[in-house]
Parts: sequence; structure tokens; C-alpha cells
Amino acid sequence: MSVVRIDPVTGGRPVPSSDRATLLGVTGEPLADIGQAPRLLAQAALNELRRNADGVPPGAALIAEAARLFAGADLDGESVDDYVGRVTLSTGLTAATVRLAVEDLVKEIVALPETTAAELPVTDFGSGFRTRWVPRGRVFAGVMASNHPVPNATWVQAVYHGYSVLVRPGSRDPFTPRRLVAALLRAGLPADRLAFLPSSREVGEFLLRKADRGIIYGGRQAVETWQGDDSIAVRGPGSTKAFLDADLDDTLLDHLVTSASFDGGTRCTNLSAVLTTRPVAEVADRLARRLSTLPVLPADHPDASLLVLDAHRAEQIRRQTAELRTELTDHSARHDAHEPFVRLEDGSLLPRPLVLSADRAGHPAVGTELPFPFIVVAPWTEADGTAPLRESLVLNLLTEREDLAERALLEPTVRKVTRGTVLPWTAVPGIPHDDNYTQFLLEPKGVVSGDIDTKAGRHLAST
Amino acid sequence: MSSDDFDSHLRKLMAWHFGDATGSPFWLGKRATLGFDPVSDVQGAADLLRFPDISSELRSVPAGQLIPQGLADRPFRVYDSGGTTGAPKRIVDSGYRSRLLEWAHGRLVARGVPATGNWLHLGPSGPHVIGFDVSRYAALGNGIFYTVDLDPRWVKRLIGSGRPEQAEEYVQHLLDQAETILRSQDVAVLSTTPPLLEAICAREELYELVLAKVRAIIWAGTSISAESLRLVEEVFFPGTAVAGIYGNSLMGVAPQRERLDGDEYPCVFEAFPETTLLELVDESGEQVGYGERGRVRLHLVAEEMFLPNILERDSAVRIAPTTPGGPDGLADVQTFATIDDVAVIEGVY
Repeated sequence: MSVVRIDPVTGGRPVPSSDRATLLGVTGEPLADIGQAPRLLAQAALNELRRNADGVPPGAALIAEAARLFAGADLDGESVDDYVGRVTLSTGLTAATVRLAVEDLVKEIVALPETTAAELPVTDFGSGFRTRWVPRGRVFAGVMASNHPVPNATWVQAVYHGYSVLVRPGSRDPFTPRRLVAALLRAGLPADRLAFLPSSREVGEFLLRKADRGIIYGGRQAVETWQGDDSIAVRGPGSTKAFLDADLDDTLLDHLVTSASFDGGTRCTNLSAVLTTRPVAEVADRLARRLSTLPVLPADHPDASLLVLDAHRAEQIRRQTAELRTELTDHSARHDAHEPFVRLEDGSLLPRPLVLSADRAGHPAVGTELPFPFIVVAPWTEADGTAPLRESLVLNLLTEREDLAERALLEPTVRKVTRGTVLPWTAVPGIPHDDNYTQFLLEPKGVVSGDIDTKAGRHLAST
Repeated sequence: MSSDDFDSHLRKLMAWHFGDATGSPFWLGKRATLGFDPVSDVQGAADLLRFPDISSELRSVPAGQLIPQGLADRPFRVYDSGGTTGAPKRIVDSGYRSRLLEWAHGRLVARGVPATGNWLHLGPSGPHVIGFDVSRYAALGNGIFYTVDLDPRWVKRLIGSGRPEQAEEYVQHLLDQAETILRSQDVAVLSTTPPLLEAICAREELYELVLAKVRAIIWAGTSISAESLRLVEEVFFPGTAVAGIYGNSLMGVAPQRERLDGDEYPCVFEAFPETTLLELVDESGEQVGYGERGRVRLHLVAEEMFLPNILERDSAVRIAPTTPGGPDGLADVQTFATIDDVAVIEGVY
């Protein structure tokens, strides 16, 4: 595949930047020559967007058309197959995962009107009393990661609601936001509503500081600055945990294995910890044995299911897992015929699924997130209570105990609860992923029209 | 100045710096440890490599010992390096720097900076020689010199100790002062650093003031990317002359030379050829080829200071001279990531 030239986009046009960086793929081959946006370009883009931002939503039809173009059209000379090939090579996600991500992105974008309706309360109180939900600001910044394409739906949602949006793509996946930007512009979004700014982490932080609302995806270190900032939606490493209070039959085993390994374990909602009342070693062994059957294949192979990494990232993760192995029991080593990191013919490295067990529920390794199927199994006893279940993006309860389910739901850091063999990412419009994102973007304003019932008006008036 | 001229200048000053009646106590004390005779053995620029890099000693030697005895009747001042890499290095200056700055001012004027008019220096002063430099530029054009003091070491400490929000608050405090000056005073030239220029562009009213009033912007102190420079010149300050100065306490100043057709880099710096030789070298100390990146190695041969064979903290791309025998140019100057295991914090200066 030829090296593609990518530049920042502001005002609907590429800005050929003199500051350039080469993006290497997982095989070490150059994939893209990327023009970087320094802070002053971000400032210029911000000025332009803010000057023209009026908060008027572009309409559901335009957004749906953009989704259709994203999934099917040639954009900036790039076919869908080119796009899938590039993301596969740059992120190490399998081609199957990327194709599914395209479908999921389209579904999420097309469902935005429905999601909006489901996430807002009743707005018509009769007799001329209504609330209107309008954007909380004019300018939105999306600072993205590269672990998966689907999170890009969140900034498209801001566009949908009328924000002018600046996107800083993840360093390994500029392709998804670039393609979405091209699709939105082609669908007719005014050019001064969007800016695409490949840039350093510092420029991303600058955008978040300057925007009215924003979202940041990233590792613990990247997101910690923004914790507690009400104008920023923080999407850090999301631990998904299962509470296994039942015998591990084949149905449950299938369920846990799929929860951990779907999309190669790259979703923030993939399972990464199991707390159990059953024998820990036995549960861990069975998970490890089943995960060890996932095949070693290059990411572009149609049957591939596991992520591959470039040598540098593989080395980082190798060090991290080596440290974890010194403290925990490794259950995969005895079941998996492969080395922990398999070097493929194309030069990329495939980390094998890894199941470790801890001796106690409170072990600090419980909740560790890695971008491949990785599970820490730990014992749970009544004395542990709900403490080890905290800090969960999704908590999967495999138990009959209603009292525990209720207490878990009341834990502030448990963001979503699934019960039974429901995969962690299962949702319909209206089911929050992490809080009510529509209400993060929009705020209610009272609208009272002239023909009101004056008695009711006096009754409700506040001072 | 040709290399022959530099070599004869060098031979003359070897006799001066190592003359018993004229040399500084510092260099006279070194003479016996050199293993060669600087007066007879140093004949040309290549021989400067025989000297040890004494720059670290400038952090602790009493400044008085750096003053040549032949100049003992003159007043001297001490200036510090920025302190980016640990304790600052000290230099002494009486009149040399002023001579250098006269030359540099001429280069700036050639680049479009108004020859007359008032200056605002939004940058370090006090022990940092740049404050003195800019005051001289203003004086050379009979301009009034306005200052806003910036303590770069405090900024580095704030950033280095994980307090970026306090550094940001300090930057806003500096900009408030600059805005106060610009509101009521005439300022033709603004001298500042790239990070502060970015911060100016982020404050609409201040930016509009600078755009409306200032006819030239001088940037120095930290590196700037090619795209950032393009944005400063074309997008944010299109009608304003923009000139960069590469410099530090030890080396002096190397203003941006005029832009020529065929220049691959938008900004090429040249040092004061009379006294200063900048070489760009690879890890083995050999000069890199034209168009290649190397680390900056400095030789300063002036009457007041002798600083041979000093490896700087910066790297740059070597650019061929514009005239045969002229000095090499430096482009795309960047800071080395670490030197002597001390993390380099660039800060706002």
C-alpha cells in the first residue's frame, strides 16, 4: 500500500503543514506521511470555528448521509478497503474488527436521533411550558485514542447537536477521523464547523482547555489531568469485571471468553477481571485453556481475531506483563503452545491471551487493562464486600444474589451493570455507556410561550 | 571575514589570552595542563579542538578570574546562561557584546526590522544577557526600551515539578503587563519567545494590539517549528517583519540571515564571523555535511572571552555559506533531549 499523505484540515481544506511525521505500521513499514498541527494552527482553527459557530444542528439527514459515505464512498481517494487496510496495518486490529467497527459506527451515528430522545426526559409540560435541550457551548474538542475506531462516534454526536468540533486523532489512527471529516464535509456540513488536527499531546490538551466541552480518550496518565473537570468527558482505561458466583459451565465459559476476546480484546469494555467464589485456579485454568485455542494469524487474515503490535509497543507490554507475572500465577503458560509474544512473518508481534490469578480480591493487578485478551482471576469472599467491584466501566454479575446486585449498582464508580450472560457492550439507545452523554453535551432551557395558563405560571414560578 | 582572517585573529588573541601580563588568571592557570603551547601551536581554527571543553567550569570559577588582566581597568558585568541544564554558566562582558550587537542590529534591519522606534522586551533580563542585548538594539535606533521581566528559571521549576497550571498563570501575568504597556505606549518592535508568541495569539485583545501596533517581532530563546513560523509570518502577523535570533550567553547572537531563493529552510542563522565559529558535528566530533543535522560546537575567540571547543545543548542542520569563505548557516535548531543526564526543560524561554 502506498504511503498516504495526510494533512490537517481546517475550513474544509487540507493545510499542508511543514511539520511532518511518518506513521509506521505494525510491520515497521511507513504507512502515512502526516502533517502535524502545531499549537498556532490549532489556535487559528479554533478562532475560525468560534467566529462562525452558531450552535444550529446540521440535521439528522446530513449526519446519516455522512455515515453512509463513510461506509461506502471513495473519500480523499480512499476506498473503504484502503481504509480498512490502513487501520489494520496501523493499529494492529484485525481486518474483521475494523470492518465491524465501520458497521457499528454507522449504526451509532444513524441512531443518534433515537439515542437523543432516549437520553432526555420529557420536555413538554403542557399549557405552553416546555424545556429545550441545547448545546452547553459552541466549540467541542475530541482528543481521540487509537485502540478502536468506534469511539469517534462521540465527536460526531457533538457535530449532530450543533457544536463546531476540533478533532485531534489518535497517533496510530488518523484514518478514521480523517475519513469521518471527509464524509461530513461531502454530506454538506459547513466547512467552518470542523477541524482535523493531527498533533502532539500538548496541542490536544490546549484544545481541551480552549473548547467549551470536550472528550479525551487515553491511558491513565493522559486522562488524569481532566478527572473532575465537568466540561471534559474522561474516557480512561475502562476495567470490565465479572463477578462469578456460579459453577463455570460451558455456557458461562463461552460467555466469559467472548467477553474477554471479542474484537481481539481491544475494546474498553472487554472483560479484564473475574472475581469468583469458586476455586480460583480452576476457573483461571479453564479460561486459559479456552483462550489458548485462538489462532496465530496476521491481522489482515480473514480468520484472525487477535491484535498484533509493532516491535516497540510489544516490548513495552512485554515488560509490563513480565512484572505482573512475578506477582501473580500464570495460567496461560502451561496451556498455550506459543511464546507469549509470537513474531509473525510480516514482522509484527502477536501477544497471546493471558490469564493470571491473584491471591486476593484487593490485589492491585485486578483491574489492569491490556489491549489483548487479558484476565486476572481473583477470589472473592463475603468479607470483601463490593470494594473489589468498584472502578468498573461494566460489571457483569453472574450471581443470584439481589442484595449484592443492588449494592454494586449503588457504587458510584460502577458505571454499568449487566446480569447473566449478557456481553458487556450490549446496549440499546438510552442505555448509558458511562453517564448520560447527551446531557453532557446538552443542557435544558425553559421555554414558556405566551398563551400560558397564568394560574399555573404563578404556581410554578421560582424566585 | 575569510578563514585566513579568522586564523590570524586567533593567533593574535592566543598571544593575548596566554600572555602573562594580559591573559586571565583562569586561562593562565590552565596553560601548564594543556599539553601544548597555545601561543606557538595554535595556528588556525582546526587547532582549537586541542583545547578541553571548559564550559562546565564556568558554573563555579570566580568570575573575576575570567577577566583578562590586560583589561583590568575596565568595568565588567557578569551574565548567566539560562540554567536550562543545571547551575548556570557565567560569562564576563565589558564592551565586546556591544560591538557584536551593533553588527547584529544591522542584520535585523536588513531583515526588515525598523531601524528606529521603541522596543518592548517580553523576556528575561537581570542575569540573562538577552535583556541587555535587546536594550542595546533599542538604543542603537534611539528607541525607548520597555521591559516586562521574566524569570525563566521559575517557569522551568514550575514545569519540572508538575505545576503547569502555575506556569500558565505566570505567563498570563507577564502578558497582562505587556498589554498594559501596549495600550498606551508606542512600540515598534516586540522581542519575545515562541511560547509567549503562542500565548499572545491565544489572547484576542492582546493579539489585536500587537497586530495593530508592532511593526517587527523578534523571537529568540526557544526553537520554533517550520509550520509554527509560517503561521506566525503568514496567518497571525502577515504585515509584520519577523526575525529570529539564535543565541545564548556563551556564543553571543546569530540573527536570521536574509531569506534567499532556493532556501530549503525558512530561517537560517549566521553567527558573528569576526569572533565566532559554529560547527555542526556528529557523535565522533567530525563536521556533518551540508543539509545534515549535527550538534552545535562553539569556538568564541574575542578579546574579553576565550571559549574554545564547547559542545552546546543544541542541534541544527548545516547550511552552506551564501558567499565563498563565509560562515556556515544553521537551520532548524532543536534542543538535545538530555545532556549529562539532566532533563532539558525548555519552558517559555
